[in-house]
Amino acid sequence: MRTRVIVPTVAAAFALAASATLFSQAAPAQGARGGGARGGAPAQPAASAPAPAKDLTGVWMMRNPPGKNGPWTNFTYTDPMKNPPSMTDWGLAQFKLAKDSNGGNYTLDETNDPVLTKCYPPGVPRVYFHPYPFEVIQTPKQTLLVYEYDHWMRRVHTDGRALPTDPDPLWMGTSVGRWVDDHNFQVETVGFNEKTWLDRLGHAHSDQLKVTENFRRIDSNHLELDIKMEDPKALAKPWVTTFYYENRPQWELGEISCSGDYLDWTQVEKGGRDYKR
Amino acid sequence: MARNLILMLGLIAVFALGARPALAHHGGAAFDQTKMQTLSGTVTQLDFVNPHVVVWFDVQNPDGTTTKWSGWLTAPNKLQRAGWTKHTLNPGDHVTISGNQQKNGSPVLQIRTVAGPDGKNLPTFEQ
Repeated sequence: MRTRVIVPTVAAAFALAASATLFSQAAPAQGARGGGARGGAPAQPAASAPAPAKDLTGVWMMRNPPGKNGPWTNFTYTDPMKNPPSMTDWGLAQFKLAKDSNGGNYTLDETNDPVLTKCYPPGVPRVYFHPYPFEVIQTPKQTLLVYEYDHWMRRVHTDGRALPTDPDPLWMGTSVGRWVDDHNFQVETVGFNEKTWLDRLGHAHSDQLKVTENFRRIDSNHLELDIKMEDPKALAKPWVTTFYYENRPQWELGEISCSGDYLDWTQVEKGGRDYKR
Repeated sequence: MARNLILMLGLIAVFALGARPALAHHGGAAFDQTKMQTLSGTVTQLDFVNPHVVVWFDVQNPDGTTTKWSGWLTAPNKLQRAGWTKHTLNPGDHVTISGNQQKNGSPVLQIRTVAGPDGKNLPTFEQ
């Protein structure tokens, strides 16, 4: 039985403190090295500048939507705890088997999260639920989505090809994309294996999953990402979740590699020191 | 009165900090999220590693013994973007660290705030 603790008495203080400390747009630190800011003066583009046409290039970090503050819960603006997907019997049975760590329910000793226990790739859309930036690189026939977590890259074909009808199963699927208009880029992805979770809470998907991402460039500094998941085996109806991002032109993606350090972290959690020796 | 004020400020801090993605990779189920500990000690090592930066520090107990504590921060990439390097804390530095202790009683903290040798809190997240 998963329990959720609500402490309404401190909600006001929480919201106030959260808005003051978590989401302020303070200037980034100076002089950080790889994985950090590229030295020099902060270079935030003006928030009011109009969005360039058919251009998503840059480094994007999840943040609240423009003009709104509030806590992220499990790192999407559409909280999967409050707005869970409508699951099929199969999907619900799989979800009940999940023992998540990121929701705060299980320790590293107890969790069966495939990312934390096996270093499996996060899959899609889970890769967005990890609070790390991603970078968009556009070329004439491909758009590359590069994620700091866990150093994954997705190749989105933009040469007009159709989605494969019988794709091989992959961790991150096979993707095609197209510009719907000057500011909306739509990516469709199929061909997943069943080894990943949809999110960090353990919602399941099958190999019938189809993910449709719509990247909307709100203005030069902001991006909205709506993700629709369709999976007749796991989801009773499509599930849509929304993320918001801000441009971080002064950032470079850093290095992350799931490795023994990750898998040994359960020892560190218990006070051990063997993770790097 | 003053004690209540301190308690209230503590609660605000706990819940405000609880809202942030404290541990970007791992959850906090192993740590007692209802209690904050504040410790002062001397840094013995800073491990600037994935998935979490770890501060090792010695704390003198009232009976004269020393306990070797460790504390987790977020990922090194995030701390770098907040201005940290592997030299931000060095052996011998005096630190004051607040956080949530391991539920099993081990001297391990999920760090919420860390004040460096100058007494000022260091950033624990990127903006």
